[in-house]
Amino acid sequence: MKRVIMFMSVAAMATVLLGSCRKQPLDNLTEEESRIYVTNYDDKAAFNSYATFSIVDSVAVISNGASARELTSYDQQLIASIKSSLEARGYVAVAKEAKPDLAVNVSRIDNTSYSAAYNPGYWSSWPGYWDTGYWGYPGYGYYWPSSYTVFRTRERSVSIDLLDLKNPSKEGNNQLTAVWNAVLRGSGVWSSNNIGSMVKAVFDQSTYLTTNK
Amino acid sequence: MKSIKILILCILAGLGAHTASAQSRSPLSVNFNYSGAQPLGSLSDYASKASFRGWKAGINYGINDRWSVGLGFGFNDFYEKTDRMVYPDKNSDISAVQQRTLQVLPIQAVASYNFAKADAKVIPYGSLGIGTANMNYEKYWGEFVEKENKWAFLVSPELGINVPFGKYSPVMFNASVQYNYAPYTMNEISSFNSLQGNIGIKFHIH
Repeated sequence: MKRVIMFMSVAAMATVLLGSCRKQPLDNLTEEESRIYVTNYDDKAAFNSYATFSIVDSVAVISNGASARELTSYDQQLIASIKSSLEARGYVAVAKEAKPDLAVNVSRIDNTSYSAAYNPGYWSSWPGYWDTGYWGYPGYGYYWPSSYTVFRTRERSVSIDLLDLKNPSKEGNNQLTAVWNAVLRGSGVWSSNNIGSMVKAVFDQSTYLTTNK
Repeated sequence: MKSIKILILCILAGLGAHTASAQSRSPLSVNFNYSGAQPLGSLSDYASKASFRGWKAGINYGINDRWSVGLGFGFNDFYEKTDRMVYPDKNSDISAVQQRTLQVLPIQAVASYNFAKADAKVIPYGSLGIGTANMNYEKYWGEFVEKENKWAFLVSPELGINVPFGKYSPVMFNASVQYNYAPYTMNEISSFNSLQGNIGIKFHIH
């Protein structure tokens, strides 16, 4: 019986020790491979019905309880890249006073507290995000379709949100609907060197985002 | 009454065989094996590459020269890394490099039958392992992991050979092939199926 118990103990220890002899995925990633690009869209939106857009003049930096608007070199490049990508899809950039069909909010999210789960668009209720009054709809809120994919998070990320100004209350009173959203996540998303490839990726996977269909 | 007589005869036969076994090798044995496994079915859709990170170990008690019972343990790590791809979901798309992993740790009761006597140069055998396995599913989307850990019923029929290092040697070379099935479901995996090869050593303990 002693031998059996001894064997069982050795087997249990071996199970734990040898079980740890597995591939370690986080050690097997480049910085580029660590990133994911998530795009969400409102399936009720007709993207070819929009013609014009306006993009914010700075980036909201959203972190736990703190807020700021910044226009660093990174932010300028990011805004320019989004703007040119939308123009390449046929949308015309106009000033926000010219009643654009779409508004583009851009945010850097520095989420340092662990959140087990969150609702999509959670960043829109945090200090630092643009009030709907910025787009000429004071007193409005934001509406995020419930089908949006979300992840648990503890990280730095970037969010690009396209808001429907053409139909400002289509989901109820005083709500601007987010018809498209892109989230850039992973290592190096706040690095200027990666802006071009990241923005290209989210537009490449959003072929419906065009005036031509 | 007739069945009782048959039962008593069987027990006596078993005891006789046990005595013969005791004259050759001790009934208690352990085995340690290196294992490789090929995923099959929906598991191969998840991670198609063969796993070469595996092992198994067991302890057996010979009831007689032919039959033995015991416990088996093991480990296999299935892994595959994809190129960057776009994965569509409901009203969303995710561009990611995926690393798909599944770690399997079985614990099974095992019954074995030897197709040859103890003094044979090669002892083929068949066995059936029935028990449970800890299934650790981790799918990495870039650096973000989606995971679940749960237990599943696992059955493993096996065919193999034991080759003693000399007549009645307590140490034997062991090689076997086994099929593993578990009614395990997780995302794209609708059941767990793998074909596993094992190579190692079995030795009888005095």
